[in-house]
Amino acid sequence: MCRPSDATSCGRNVNARSINIEVESRPLTDAAPRLARIAGVLGLVGVVGAALFGFLAGWDVFFRSYLLNYAYVLSLALGGLFFVLLQHVVRAGWSVSIRRVAELVAAALPPLTLLFLPLLIPVVAGMPGVYEWTDRELVQADPLLKSKSAYLNVPFFIIRCAAYFGIWSLLAWFCLWQSTEQDETGAAKHTQRLERLSAPGLLLLAVTITFFAIDALMSLNPHWYSTIWGVYYFSGSVVGFLALFVLLLAFLQRAGRLTHAVTSEHYHDLGKLAFGFVVFWAYIAFSQYLLIWYANIPEEIVWYRPRQGDTWWIAISLLLLFGHFVAPLLALMSRGAKRRSGFLVAAAVWLLAMHWLDLYYVVAPRPWQSGHASSGGPLHATDLLLLLGLGGLFVAIVVWPMGRRALLAKRDPRLPEALAHENV
Amino acid sequence: MTATKPQTAEPAVALQGLLAEFDSPGALLAAATQVRDAGFTGWDTHTPFPVHGIDHAMDIRRTRLPWLVFGLGVAGCLTGLLMQWWMNAASPANFPGVPTFLQGFDYLISGKPIFSLPANIPVIFELTVLAAALATVIGMLAANNLPWHYNALFAVPRFRRVTNDRFFLCIDARDPQFDAAETGALLKQLGATAIERVETSARPGGLPRGVIIAIVVFATLALFPPLIVARARLSKSAQPRIALVQDMDNQERFRTQQANLAFADGRAMRPQIPGTLARGDLHSDPHLYQGKTDGEWALTFPPQLEITRAFVQRGQQRFAIFCASCHGLGGAGDGMVHQRALQRDTPGWVQPTSLHDQLVRSRAAGHLFNTITNGIRSMPPYGDQIPPADRWAILAYVRALELSQDARLEDVPPERRDELR
Repeated sequence: MCRPSDATSCGRNVNARSINIEVESRPLTDAAPRLARIAGVLGLVGVVGAALFGFLAGWDVFFRSYLLNYAYVLSLALGGLFFVLLQHVVRAGWSVSIRRVAELVAAALPPLTLLFLPLLIPVVAGMPGVYEWTDRELVQADPLLKSKSAYLNVPFFIIRCAAYFGIWSLLAWFCLWQSTEQDETGAAKHTQRLERLSAPGLLLLAVTITFFAIDALMSLNPHWYSTIWGVYYFSGSVVGFLALFVLLLAFLQRAGRLTHAVTSEHYHDLGKLAFGFVVFWAYIAFSQYLLIWYANIPEEIVWYRPRQGDTWWIAISLLLLFGHFVAPLLALMSRGAKRRSGFLVAAAVWLLAMHWLDLYYVVAPRPWQSGHASSGGPLHATDLLLLLGLGGLFVAIVVWPMGRRALLAKRDPRLPEALAHENV
Repeated sequence: MTATKPQTAEPAVALQGLLAEFDSPGALLAAATQVRDAGFTGWDTHTPFPVHGIDHAMDIRRTRLPWLVFGLGVAGCLTGLLMQWWMNAASPANFPGVPTFLQGFDYLISGKPIFSLPANIPVIFELTVLAAALATVIGMLAANNLPWHYNALFAVPRFRRVTNDRFFLCIDARDPQFDAAETGALLKQLGATAIERVETSARPGGLPRGVIIAIVVFATLALFPPLIVARARLSKSAQPRIALVQDMDNQERFRTQQANLAFADGRAMRPQIPGTLARGDLHSDPHLYQGKTDGEWALTFPPQLEITRAFVQRGQQRFAIFCASCHGLGGAGDGMVHQRALQRDTPGWVQPTSLHDQLVRSRAAGHLFNTITNGIRSMPPYGDQIPPADRWAILAYVRALELSQDARLEDVPPERRDELR
């Protein structure tokens, strides 16, 4: 990154041709595979360690931790897909020089489908400690679960998940494919195709994220429902992705790529988006809370009851309130903060941690008065081991292609606009 | 963007400035950079759309508007918080000097705490946004000396294309470095496609007379409605109030004891036809309807009502609806109305009777039925609201409640006595 007054090297009033795009965008053949290998090994260590713990402490603990951390890494990739489609639907020029990195994050979705398969074990094998509604006897005895079983049953769950992952993988693959094709041909038709796809693509993404959040996360408390649930998961996902995006761009720039194609102007805009989505997340989270708090009726407060029931969860709730909303709101408010590389990277690390905490708050508490009551303490070793495990594998999946693909959509017709991009 | 602004009206013939036309934002940016570097201060640029980098090229200092927006946003936030605290949570008793119409009222809503942050957040949020948004718009206008209803450049025909596809740079004649010939040459050298002399006075004498007259007339007229309202609120009148829709004021109806010529006897009140009763008025069973047998309070429930579990549960439900607000769910006389009265220190408040009092316990069933039907002391009658069978059901539940507080071991079924140990 560079200072705004440094006119020659900042892309300010600089002719696009004076930046050597080929040098800027060449694959990171040494650093990327190295980082991917380290992350992959750490990931495998984490998963194996967690599996050992699962063997000792019980598999439902293992699978709940797996669900938590899987929902976390998946949300980052979904945020990437949302970002890419959003850039195409509004025909954005400013983001062309950073879009490839987001495309690579979204392209983690097909491999992530494989990592989803272990989560089908507790569903098919019927582990009520993970999903209560997989217990047939319990469902038969419970009128509410029985009436929901037309939707919430194992075969239909698997069919729906197949649809979600199919749609996401296709969308992510298509975006990356057309964009890399354009690197070869330089034709505008690829951009036009992506623009045509993006509006229905966003619609599909909205519907699938909503239903995935309902199926995978809301059904942990099958008696409970919240109509804003899908938006809640989505808003946190975008915050998490933007934080990851900032870290990846900073990593690539440190490794000597995109040094002139990505400027403080781009970081500034990513900071603005992160600021906006932090507020959006808080707005959605509070909308859900306010209605349930005000009505105070038993079938709704069951979700908040365990989350405000003891000191640990009250502390987590307050940490989310201040750490996921108040602190980033104030920290990202000023223009200077968003343009200062070190500060923005620190904020991104913090937001990634807060996004994990948000999903921990969603997944970890046991359903209130459930038929399969709690096992163990509030934070399991598997929660952290699988954060290392799935997080490591996710980083490996995202970073590995950076050693083989161009890091910039180098022949996109709107690239000059991105290189000359400037916030007023 | 307004780098400068003409200050005074001058003779219409004097040269006011030089206007240079450019055909691309790039050319304008380059020219602006040169003009800046040449040391001019009284100049401005005009473009059909915001041009990135123009603030840098013109060396316009960074706006301080964000601080104003932030400050007013915080002020809006605190206003929302304090307003709701004052209106609902600050008890008037603690602020005796404040006039009544400025005091809040600690009104209990949905059983939430009187000062309840989650409920206040929507209003706080709205006021924060409102104050910040108004600060943005009004502050932006003020910082740019807007609105500015007239600009001398409008008199230059070529300038019309500024809203379409041309880019202009205007150097004011009052700039200390301004020299008609030299500045013109500089602009020419910067690549201007045309240079115009601006000769009209920058500021004619303020608003046109017609506009001023219209404003005065409308402002005066606008005073009348509030004056009329104020007069009506402060004066007394013997006349009935004016109703715009009179349907509710003038209805065809007849009061008791009035005449009505539609009937042969001329009376509006119609006597009951001999030998008839209104529907549902046949209360021939004194036990069921008055709680009496042979003129005495009945000791038992009416025989036609079967005392079953469902009957008592019906009574429990009705009790929770009609009775528990005062007598409490347990019947101890500690319902929400009582709690609230204690909280507000209501003068002369008498606690509702506990249903576990020896007196209530010893009353005959019919007597208590009568109390529910007709009320007693400050307890209102419920005969009109609760059908007779439900009143008896409530009574059955009250008896069950009493038993629950005064049970002996013999009252427990023998097979379940073990659970008590």
